Amino acid sequence: MRTNRLRDVVLLSLLLCGFKLAALAQTPGQYNAITDVPGISVGHATGGDSGATVVLVGGPTGQGVPAGIVTRGGSPGTRETDVLNPVNRNESVNAIALAGGSLYGLATTGGVMLCLESRGVGVAVAGGLVPIVPTATSNDRATCGGPPSTRPDLATGQQACLAAAGGAVAQGNVGAGTGAVSGGVKGGIGSASVVLPNGIIVGALVSVNSEGAAYNGDGDLYALPFAIGEEARGLSKARADRVPTPPPGGPLRSGTNAVVATNVQLTKAQATQIAQMADDGIARAISPAHTAGDGDTLFALGTGRVSMSWLGDEAEVLTQIGTAAANAVSRAIGYALISAKSTPCQRSYCDSFPAACRGRNGR
Amino acid sequence: MQHQIALSGLLCLAAAAGAYAQALPQTPGAKNAITDVPGIEVGHHTATNGSGGMTGTTVILARGGATAGVTQRGGAPGTRLTDLLKSEKAVGTAHAITLSGGSAYGLAAADGVMACLERQGVGMSLGNGVIVPVVPQAILFDPGRCAAFNFRPDASFGLAACQAASNGPVQMGNVGAGAGARSGGAKGGLGTASATLPNGVVVGAIVAVNSAGRTFDATSGDFFAGYTLSPADGAAAAARMLPAARVADGGEIEQVEPQVLLQATTIAVVATNAKLTKGQANKVAQMADDGMGRAIRLAHGTGDGDTVFTLATGTVAGEPNIDQIGSAAADVLSRAIIRALLNAESIHAGSCNVLSYCEQFPSRCAVSKR
Repeated sequence: MRTNRLRDVVLLSLLLCGFKLAALAQTPGQYNAITDVPGISVGHATGGDSGATVVLVGGPTGQGVPAGIVTRGGSPGTRETDVLNPVNRNESVNAIALAGGSLYGLATTGGVMLCLESRGVGVAVAGGLVPIVPTATSNDRATCGGPPSTRPDLATGQQACLAAAGGAVAQGNVGAGTGAVSGGVKGGIGSASVVLPNGIIVGALVSVNSEGAAYNGDGDLYALPFAIGEEARGLSKARADRVPTPPPGGPLRSGTNAVVATNVQLTKAQATQIAQMADDGIARAISPAHTAGDGDTLFALGTGRVSMSWLGDEAEVLTQIGTAAANAVSRAIGYALISAKSTPCQRSYCDSFPAACRGRNGR
Repeated sequence: MQHQIALSGLLCLAAAAGAYAQALPQTPGAKNAITDVPGIEVGHHTATNGSGGMTGTTVILARGGATAGVTQRGGAPGTRLTDLLKSEKAVGTAHAITLSGGSAYGLAAADGVMACLERQGVGMSLGNGVIVPVVPQAILFDPGRCAAFNFRPDASFGLAACQAASNGPVQMGNVGAGAGARSGGAKGGLGTASATLPNGVVVGAIVAVNSAGRTFDATSGDFFAGYTLSPADGAAAAARMLPAARVADGGEIEQVEPQVLLQATTIAVVATNAKLTKGQANKVAQMADDGMGRAIRLAHGTGDGDTVFTLATGTVAGEPNIDQIGSAAADVLSRAIIRALLNAESIHAGSCNVLSYCEQFPSRCAVSKR
């Protein structure tokens, strides 16, 4: 926390001095994860066939922050999303929960709420606190034809909330991505971040459980062209003759749910705009995306460390954040695919396309 | 008989013209409840803490599945699965709607309803042996009223309400989602009503009234939407008939505190046996919501989570007249709101005192409360 504050101060000083390095290439943050955004921590709770992932968010003094949402899939399983409508009053979100378990997974929220209430986090109302925890779920399909042996419940939400921390974010078969399938391969959790030359930080966390595939007919990831810095190192052409067949789709069967966050202060309306642009990152990394069977819900958070007015023209800044967020979502989807591990009935991307991953560490 | 034939003829003409005259008063069904719509069941679960605190959950079941819609116009909503009910989304069938106290914590009630329905095999099949009941929900704010802040519904409330559900008469007043409700300084509560339309269409409503605004004129006790009442609405009908002079016994009416304006919410379900598409169900919800606007002033404020769901069971085939159904639903919802107030009971427990409408205006209720 202290490190974050120090970084904020340095960042602010740079901004106030008119520090500009516009020509510098974009680089990932320290952890290349959504936790690079000050105020964001992530916790996973992983069960046998399912799990939940919680993104906790605090503003500069620990308070809730404004959030936006877009739900472009045909089968969203959501809770506490109407409150995010910019016409509605509440400006404060304390956490976002993503879970497996299909609509049953919406029970997760209750556990996150109890966890936060016990810590004194929430919107103050007469007599107490009400933590605002918008949630999206999807259906676990990485089983061997039967129903999942576990589904996230209230206790899972509590566990994920208690586990939340800054720093590196576990990816692949964890949390909400435990039972995920993407196209014909194992899906999972992925995260990525970018630091822009003007100090804007944008991070994304995605639970990839898509009906469509994240790779083309040759087996190459659609996200690959969005790689920045050294992150594509070790990935090669898949050179596949054929690609695995996705399981059948249908209403409520799948869904890629995501959270993007930035250190810039946003209104609810601005966060909604960022969510809409960031959602293009799903469309670029997965095809088809937003099908009738996909939940595809994306949340956007502004943690308020950097004032919009310090950065310049609002529309221009929103475009920068939205563009970076879309790219971070695509990159996070790529990380989800290459981080996922094979399960008894669902092969991973890297096991399906060994040529593509041959150069990665540990393979 | 000739009259009936002539009347039928007129109705046919009206139907052919695509317009039904909306005549008040409406003709309620046998139970004057949402359960007059075939296929709809209601269950309550109510908790009392012994010192005036009450909260609870109400479940409206459509075990056979019903086409569902929603409108969400209050400024402080707490909801579940409303995104799925948007017209363009792929799932149009709901198996139950949950209404509950407990603020956002109360959204856990649907967990119990889902568990209850899953055991009964009610829900959508997702393959792999997975059955998922679709249970949208809305909550209202009642925590901390004459009770500890954590006196609130959880999943067990939804389970109990679902298990208690039946298609019989529906208890009103201080029960279920309306147990801890307050309405513009008076005791709020749970209300229901129904109307049978000439062409066999039945429209019912159920509502938990926990509004920032008031439902009646503070001086006269006149309900703002009193003109919608039917003689069959019991206490309400009697109240409607009484001359104003006899009811000017209001006494002290609590002022609505600004704080209350931020922590209210009126939530409702309207149901019909007409066959609606999802888009039509959303449209009927929008029109029904006018019944809330007419019965409560102010409605849909920044502290209200006001949400109205539609369930259409579709047992009456044929092209539905959406304007007829939506307009009837608005009036049925207005009546259900008034009936909630009329059936609410005062709470007097130590320092916890909430006056019901009938205690504030005894002569309004005297005739019918026999």
